[in-house]
Amino acid sequence: MAVPSRSALSPSTIPTEASTIVELDRVSKRFLGKRQVVALDDVSLTIPRGQMVSIIGPSGSGKSTLLNLVGGLDRPTTGEVRVEGEALAGLTDDQLTRVRRDKIGFIFQFFNLLPTLSCLENVGLPLHLRGWPRKKAEERARELLTLVQLGHRMLHLPDELSGGERQRVAIARALSVYPPILLADEPTGNLDTKTGGDILALIRELHEQLGSTVIIVTHDMQVAASCHRTIALRDGRVVEDRPRSG
Amino acid sequence: MSKRRRLSAAAFLWLPVGVVVSSHVAGGVTAQAADDARTIVEEAQRRTDAKSQRYEGLLQVFDARGRISDKRWTFERLGSHGQSRAVLRFVAPPEVKGVALLVVNHPDRASDQWMWTPAIERDRRIALQDRSTRFFGTDFSFEDLEERDVNQFDYVLAGEEPIDGFVCWKIQSTPRRTKSSQYTRSIVWIRKDTYALARIENYQKDKLVRRLDYSDIQNVQGIWTARRMEMADLTRGSRTRLTLDRLQYNLPLKEEDFTLQAIRRQ
Amino acid sequence: MLFRLISRPYFRRHVLRTMLTIAGIVLGVAVFVGMHTANQSVLMAFSQTVDRIAGKTQLQVTAGETGFGEEVLEKVQSASTVRVAVPVIEAVVDTNIRGQGNLLILGIDMTGDRSLRDYDLESGDDAVIDDPLVFLAQPDSVIVSNEFAGRNGLTTNSRLPLGTIEGEKLFTVRGIMKSSGLTSAFGGNLAVMDVYAAQKMFGRGRTFDRVDLAVADGRTIAECEAELGAMLGAGFTIEPPSGRGQQFEAMLAAYSMMVGISSLFALFIGMFIIYNSFAIAVTERRAEIGILRALGATRGQIRWLFLGESAITGVIGSLGGVVFGILIARGIAASIGSLITDVYGVAQQAGELATSPALLMVALGIGVATSMVAAVIPAYQAARVDPVHALQKGKYQVLSAGESRARAVAAAVLGAVSVACLAAPSIGGSAGGGSRPLFYTGYVLAVVVALLLSPLLALTLARTLRPILRWIRPVEGALAADSMIQAPRRTSASVAALMLSLALVVAFAGMARASYDSIIDWMDTAFNPDLFVLPSQSVVIRTIRFPKEMGAELASIPGVERIQMVRSARIVFRETPVMAVAIEIESLAETSARPPVAGDPAAMYRLTASGQGLMVSDNLAQLQQLSVGDMLEVPAPAGVIRLPIVGVVLDYSDQQGTILMDRTLFEKYWNDDSVNVFRVYLDDPASVPAVRQRILERYEGVRQVFVLTNGELKEYVLKITDQWFGLTSVQIAVAVLVAILGIVNTLTVSITDRRRELGVLQAVGGLRAQIRRTIWIEALSIGVLGLLLGFALGAINLYYILQIVHHDIAGMRLDYAFPTGVVVALVPTILASAFIAALWPAEAAVRGSLVEALEYE
Repeated sequence: MAVPSRSALSPSTIPTEASTIVELDRVSKRFLGKRQVVALDDVSLTIPRGQMVSIIGPSGSGKSTLLNLVGGLDRPTTGEVRVEGEALAGLTDDQLTRVRRDKIGFIFQFFNLLPTLSCLENVGLPLHLRGWPRKKAEERARELLTLVQLGHRMLHLPDELSGGERQRVAIARALSVYPPILLADEPTGNLDTKTGGDILALIRELHEQLGSTVIIVTHDMQVAASCHRTIALRDGRVVEDRPRSG
Repeated sequence: MSKRRRLSAAAFLWLPVGVVVSSHVAGGVTAQAADDARTIVEEAQRRTDAKSQRYEGLLQVFDARGRISDKRWTFERLGSHGQSRAVLRFVAPPEVKGVALLVVNHPDRASDQWMWTPAIERDRRIALQDRSTRFFGTDFSFEDLEERDVNQFDYVLAGEEPIDGFVCWKIQSTPRRTKSSQYTRSIVWIRKDTYALARIENYQKDKLVRRLDYSDIQNVQGIWTARRMEMADLTRGSRTRLTLDRLQYNLPLKEEDFTLQAIRRQ
Repeated sequence: MLFRLISRPYFRRHVLRTMLTIAGIVLGVAVFVGMHTANQSVLMAFSQTVDRIAGKTQLQVTAGETGFGEEVLEKVQSASTVRVAVPVIEAVVDTNIRGQGNLLILGIDMTGDRSLRDYDLESGDDAVIDDPLVFLAQPDSVIVSNEFAGRNGLTTNSRLPLGTIEGEKLFTVRGIMKSSGLTSAFGGNLAVMDVYAAQKMFGRGRTFDRVDLAVADGRTIAECEAELGAMLGAGFTIEPPSGRGQQFEAMLAAYSMMVGISSLFALFIGMFIIYNSFAIAVTERRAEIGILRALGATRGQIRWLFLGESAITGVIGSLGGVVFGILIARGIAASIGSLITDVYGVAQQAGELATSPALLMVALGIGVATSMVAAVIPAYQAARVDPVHALQKGKYQVLSAGESRARAVAAAVLGAVSVACLAAPSIGGSAGGGSRPLFYTGYVLAVVVALLLSPLLALTLARTLRPILRWIRPVEGALAADSMIQAPRRTSASVAALMLSLALVVAFAGMARASYDSIIDWMDTAFNPDLFVLPSQSVVIRTIRFPKEMGAELASIPGVERIQMVRSARIVFRETPVMAVAIEIESLAETSARPPVAGDPAAMYRLTASGQGLMVSDNLAQLQQLSVGDMLEVPAPAGVIRLPIVGVVLDYSDQQGTILMDRTLFEKYWNDDSVNVFRVYLDDPASVPAVRQRILERYEGVRQVFVLTNGELKEYVLKITDQWFGLTSVQIAVAVLVAILGIVNTLTVSITDRRRELGVLQAVGGLRAQIRRTIWIEALSIGVLGLLLGFALGAINLYYILQIVHHDIAGMRLDYAFPTGVVVALVPTILASAFIAALWPAEAAVRGSLVEALEYE
């Protein structure tokens, strides 16, 4: 798998030391409804820069909620989330968006590609949103699509791709600004075993090449096994937090 | 025929000489035959014939609230009954001064009437068409002023009764079916001594609606004439009094003064 | 049951959308109710005035507007079937009191009139009115209504200045009428004076406008009509007072027709908004429908579920529309009132609204029906939903190739039929424009074709627009375009509604412009005198006239080269009120000859001048299907004029048409030598101010005279034309409302449909401003599409409207001219409306939970 050397990529994302990049301080999330649901209950975590972490747990254990809080898609009921030392609680919606687009790449289970845009446009989307010049954005998108080995599918629409290919496009989109953090919510959940394995390999490879911090929510133990660290959640609490065995 | 339409302001001008009767059947009836009601009415009519007439009139309307409005005019008539012409010229109050009325009567159809209004220098034809309406703001209705055809009524002698101390025949007149009238019947009092009218009461159904009283009856040049007539409208509660001054009969009047051209000249 | 379980929760969840759907029907019904109520109110006010003034009158004798000699009254009175007949003159005079407008003067003969009308006095000397002597002897006597007296602080013996032909005169209030039917006529601005004094004050000579009569006891109205008809001849109309209301209605026919077309369009537009909503609802509720079908609901049940929903929406919307319509009716009625005062010279104020229950019921019915018709296709589609497919996720909005093809084929076929309908009459080649039903069928089909094609066209245009939008804003622009392309139904319904309303605006504006062009062109030759001398401030008030002698006086004023005396009056020709214009034709031929539409230019004027022929306006020829050589029969009081048409000329004096004749002919047949207008030519056009001054000085204190310069008169005419087209502004308002409603509706759905997409956009770094922008761009794009299609359909619609105007309304031959000015002005108006419509949906789009937007069930 031909991955360009790290130096060819954006220098901003190179991890310099094993500092903390994501920190959760006694975070709780409760959903108010007819019946109050505690999605996260007093969770504290620190994730050092460059780590590849998997979060596992049964359905409803709060793993996706945790990911959404880290990604700034949602706000905790109590407690604090810090990304690169910046507390998210005090930020406005637009400031949160800026944090997301500068520091975080999202990979979703259902890819969430825009069906009307070509692969190239989908990948270039975050760059256009940042106001990159058209040409530069397109150049970067090509580069990324090549990186995920879809150089030949640039102008195709998502509908015309296989599931694995779509997820690669999504990964390329997540990488568009080479964010320090990649958040993946069940990235292989919607794929067959072989394709899932390929995608996981790609993520690992990118992680190694780019040194991004990767947080993967999964219930696939194989995926979890390939990570540095696995955090297990149950009923909104951390029940296990262990480095990769072996 | 046209008798039915014979309603006219002209008749008003004959008030002094009797309202109720028409000349058509005037004939030589003697006083001795007086018991017959129809004959009495015809004789009363005959006795008022004159070649011409002139008087100065004062018309006073007393409304229900006691207000009085006065009008004065001079009146001249040439000829008698169905053949006559008359000119009436207002002299007071100032608002109507100069307004003149010319009436040309026809024996066989409705009279023609014109009014001359000096302020706009216009004469106009007056067509008086609805007989139950009030005549020029007085308590007389047009029908009250109409010349009546004796033959359109049935008369019944209802006895004798004194009015103002004079013995009168009391005669009930009822319109025949051919005659349309606002009144169901009328009671007429005629003085036995002079054949002059003394009172008329008009009924609608059994309700007395208008009463006309004749008073100050004098012999003027051989014609017994009431110098004062008073019509009371018992529904409205108002009454109208007409007083005649300087009454003369049979004076020499010129035909050419009774034309439309003539009344345009002041 | 199904409704309670399924529909109610849906409505509840989509309160806003439900409201917008209802708003569509409200709009349609409101415009329908508003315009018709206003129209009816004015008509009712007119017939009320007529009725109230008519009192116990059973029949009226008229000779058009011209009036007739006094001898007619005597004839009528002598008829055996007539109990009482009285003369009447009506004049509309300026009160010279600020804000009081015009006063309707009823000139009557007090000696007989009280049998027909009640004049109960509120205050004043009873004797004055009971005794016509006083009233008649003093020509300055007026009796005013209690209403008018109250408004102006008048009491008995107050002085009231009124404009007469002898200049302003002080009248004396001799009595104040108690409030009654009579005094409420003409909005209470009513005064009574002596008919003979009125003749003098308003220049009527020895004529009356009409004779009011009551039938003799025991005789029927029909007998009386027959007797008088035979006695008076064809020049007279003998009809019950209500007949005048009908004539007035006929006069307003053109306006009513426009109102009708407008309100139909409004309903059509409302239908589209509803169709849009239901089509979307069906799409959105596919899964729900699928489940229902899977659980055993029949197609019929599904269909009726949607039809039931639309019926309920229709009922609520129609009720709202009725209420709202009544609210706007007052405003419209006021504008129609002033319009007809200025355009038709019939002063009329609509005092109260004529809210006819029948109309309201019809409106309710139409509203519900429209709503249900609009829901038929979506309901049918819902019923056809396949349970298996419905439960799968996927795209349903895309127009299927099959449907597009079906639409295109239908459009092509109907388009061909529509063109054939147009072509058919020209094959027939008749002057009347061939078969009207065919023509209207073609019109309707043309609109239907446009509606059929609108989704395809909207789609094509949106595709064309995409690169442009993408170039402007790579992400927001492209996504906005894609949103439209992905949901052509959603988009096209708004676009179609906008298209319809704009097409109407364009057509009306185009007609306005064409009329302007034609009228200006006509005025340039027809209205070329230097000065116009009028007896009233208003050009169209013909109740005050000058005597003929004034002609010689004016001609002798230094600087005056020539004068032409014009007498115009509405007469009844073939049971239609048309305008008779009597003028000195020989002189006119020298000053203002125009090339005729048909006829020999030289002979035409010669024959008309010598009383051997008549000229008719093009619109009369068109409306009554007349051509040169035809023998005209024009009834007049002195007999029927039988003369050939020697020329057809352009003349825009009257919507019902004009008959031009020489003055001598008019004087003879109408026994009327009065003058409405003097056309004055000067030796030196530069001396206009000086001569105008001389004329005013000559008549100061003697006559009421208004002198207008050429420019002023033209301006006046154009102002009237403007008012006529004031309706266009109502149309523009409707278009703006439609734009806003439709776009809000579409966008509300759009943001629901695109919730995930917008969530993704935000997740990958889209700022709120950027999200808003994409919504705005979508709105503006819908606006642009609507504008483009609207202008295209407008161009076609204009053609049809001009044809209708030419053949069926005013007979006006108008050249086709696209109203570029209005079209240019519409662009920013509609785009601004679109933008405003997008504000709320855009805000809604950036709020709400991102997590929910992104998650899958």
